[in-house]
Amino acid sequence: MIKLTNLTFAWHQQAIIEIEALHIEKGQHLFIEGPSGSGKSTLLNLLGGVLTPQQGSISILGESLQQLSSSQKDSFRSNHIGFIFQQFNLIPYLSLLDNITLPCTFSALRKAKVLKRSKCLNTEAIRLLAALGLTDPALLQRNVNQLSVGQQQRVAVARAMLGSPEIIIADEPTSALDENHRQAFIEILFEECKKEDITLIFVSHDTSLKNHFDYHISLPEINKANANLVTQEAI
Amino acid sequence: MAILSLAFKSLLNRKLTFFITLFSIAISVTLLLSVQTLKTETNSSFMKSISGTDLIIGSRGASSQLLLSSVFHIGQSTNTIQYATYQEIQKSPAVEWAVPISLGDSHQGYTVMATDLSFFDHFSYANKQHLKVHSGKIDGDMFAVVIGAEVANKLNYAIGDEVIVTHGGGEIEGHHHDNIPFYISAILAPSFTAIDQTLIISLEAMAAMHTDNHGHFGVLPGEETLATDQSHEHHDEAKHDEHEHHDEATHKEHEHHDEVAHQEHENHDEATNEEHEHHDEATHQEHEHHDEVAHQEHEHHDEATHEEHEHHDEATHQEHEHHDEVAHQEHEHHDEATHEGHEHDEATHEGHEHDDQIHSEHRETQDQRVARLLKIKPEKINAIFVGLTSPQAILGMQSYINNYPKEPLSAIIPAVALQELWQFFSLAEIALNIVTVFVVLVGLLGMLSIILMSLNERRREMAILRSVGARPAHIFGLIIGEAGFVCFAGIVLGVALLYLLLAVLQAPLASYYGFYIDINMLTSNDLLILTVIQGSALLIALIPGWLIYKYSLSDGMSIKF
Repeated sequence: MIKLTNLTFAWHQQAIIEIEALHIEKGQHLFIEGPSGSGKSTLLNLLGGVLTPQQGSISILGESLQQLSSSQKDSFRSNHIGFIFQQFNLIPYLSLLDNITLPCTFSALRKAKVLKRSKCLNTEAIRLLAALGLTDPALLQRNVNQLSVGQQQRVAVARAMLGSPEIIIADEPTSALDENHRQAFIEILFEECKKEDITLIFVSHDTSLKNHFDYHISLPEINKANANLVTQEAI
Repeated sequence: MAILSLAFKSLLNRKLTFFITLFSIAISVTLLLSVQTLKTETNSSFMKSISGTDLIIGSRGASSQLLLSSVFHIGQSTNTIQYATYQEIQKSPAVEWAVPISLGDSHQGYTVMATDLSFFDHFSYANKQHLKVHSGKIDGDMFAVVIGAEVANKLNYAIGDEVIVTHGGGEIEGHHHDNIPFYISAILAPSFTAIDQTLIISLEAMAAMHTDNHGHFGVLPGEETLATDQSHEHHDEAKHDEHEHHDEATHKEHEHHDEVAHQEHENHDEATNEEHEHHDEATHQEHEHHDEVAHQEHEHHDEATHEEHEHHDEATHQEHEHHDEVAHQEHEHHDEATHEGHEHDEATHEGHEHDDQIHSEHRETQDQRVARLLKIKPEKINAIFVGLTSPQAILGMQSYINNYPKEPLSAIIPAVALQELWQFFSLAEIALNIVTVFVVLVGLLGMLSIILMSLNERRREMAILRSVGARPAHIFGLIIGEAGFVCFAGIVLGVALLYLLLAVLQAPLASYYGFYIDINMLTSNDLLILTVIQGSALLIALIPGWLIYKYSLSDGMSIKF
């Protein structure tokens, strides 16, 4: 489903990513362990098609990213991948529902999928929120900045899942949560991804989380550039 | 479109900075547009100062000087056109009308303009509008003054008020012509031209003020040549008393009057024709006081024949008793006498009768009464407003006037001269333009700095947008859209403020400064300026737009804090 082959990405002639091969199967829940500085965010940007590798290929859902123009990659991303970030996932000037339905602004495909399932975007957003345990209608009226971090992260999940993209990439989504919320959050995320048959790529430096996942890889292990970096730093 | 709605929501989220930017742009737009409006309105009010006049004739000199003095009453003017020249020009076949203008006196800083009644028929401003009377009635009386709206307002004058004219232009300097007081017969409606600040009197009155007639020919039969006030008082007494007393007074002064009259007569005779000799000899010993009247008649009726004079003298002789008694009293009486004696003096008679109706309750000074009798036209005037029979005649007439054989004259075409004069203001216009352009630029730079400052905090927002599929172009569009929207809203608000300002200031500007601002639709020039502002805003927004584009490329979906 996701195939990385001989991937090289350098920034200012400094290799940041060098991955020989990485395969991620459909429906897999993959934990990528990556301490900061291991090229984690670069990898995510490569997967999202925001960055273009100098060498090698990325193929997602059978589509070779390097054959797409940058705007096609942007469309591809919005059609097939949902992102969840560590914190501040929401756009402060949009309402909670607008934040959730934001991907439909850029993806006609996901919008169509949503409308197949629900009457309108907001209905689907409310359904997702309910599935994620946010049932209080008063929340909808609130400014997104007034939500708790846990609530914000769940709203971010709802946004990532809206219109059922094939892949969800979560970048440290739990680091801002306390232990209890972290557990609850991961459980909900897993459950929903399973229900929708979504491939989940979960990136974190927190190795304690990897037990939740069927598969886990360590980014420093597969990223040779990182090894070089480390070596260089060691020298 | 989605991105514009995002931009709009983003702006509303940052209300404070949004409104500050909005207002700074709005205020600069208002300033710029009001300067434009002021410029157009000043220009149009300037161009509207005179219309329907084909030529203005003055003594030879700079056309702008003639225009300034004759139309705007600005600057010194010299009396250099012979009245005879005016009369000659008036008779020219191409001339439909000609109005003489004489300047040089003032009243409390306001210009006093002497002209004749035809001024009101022919002078027009703006879109060929004639002067309108606000209150009172324009009459042909010699000592009636018609005052402009601002004069009436500022000096708080009403119909019937007395006005003393000062020689020269200053408020302090100058001799007061208090021997010839005027009364206000009409107040003009505001025309927003120089006329609003002008008092209009008759040419004859102007001449009377400037003729040194104290103790010269300034005496009527049976009157003292006392200082004006004394004579005035005396006259009043006489008027109210019985004839007896009056006659006594008359007799006392008789000798003196005769002498004066005699001298006058002789002078006159020397200057004019010999035919009068005979007439004078025949009459002067018996009817000296009458000779004075006759002398006036001679001046006015140069063509009068000897026979007429004789007849006149005889007639006067017959009426002697009656005339003696009343000549110095109400003009009505005098006119009757004159009328009986002089068939040819109909115009004067009519005029006087008219005067008397209005004037019966006014106290007249001796000089005024003398002036009434003399009805001297001034020797020289300042300018002539000319209307021609056909517009085709303008250039020909202008060239004729410029080469006028008897005295050096120049004729200007008001519209052309106004346009030329306006060029003088172009420098100020440019300076104003530069200032307002910078004000708008400052407003736009304020917007730029506010957007730039928001960029860093917004990189996070950009990353989120990127993650959900926004292209760098979308992010770029978001910033440009925001700038465009702020600027557009600023322009709309600025235009609204402009009209508010105009609506509020229109009345006070008109009443206190005599400057009438017409509230019009935005001109195509204004719209062009607004488009340029909007365009500049978008252009300026390219800077943060380009920055955010670069950020969104390098940051990608990585959230920077």
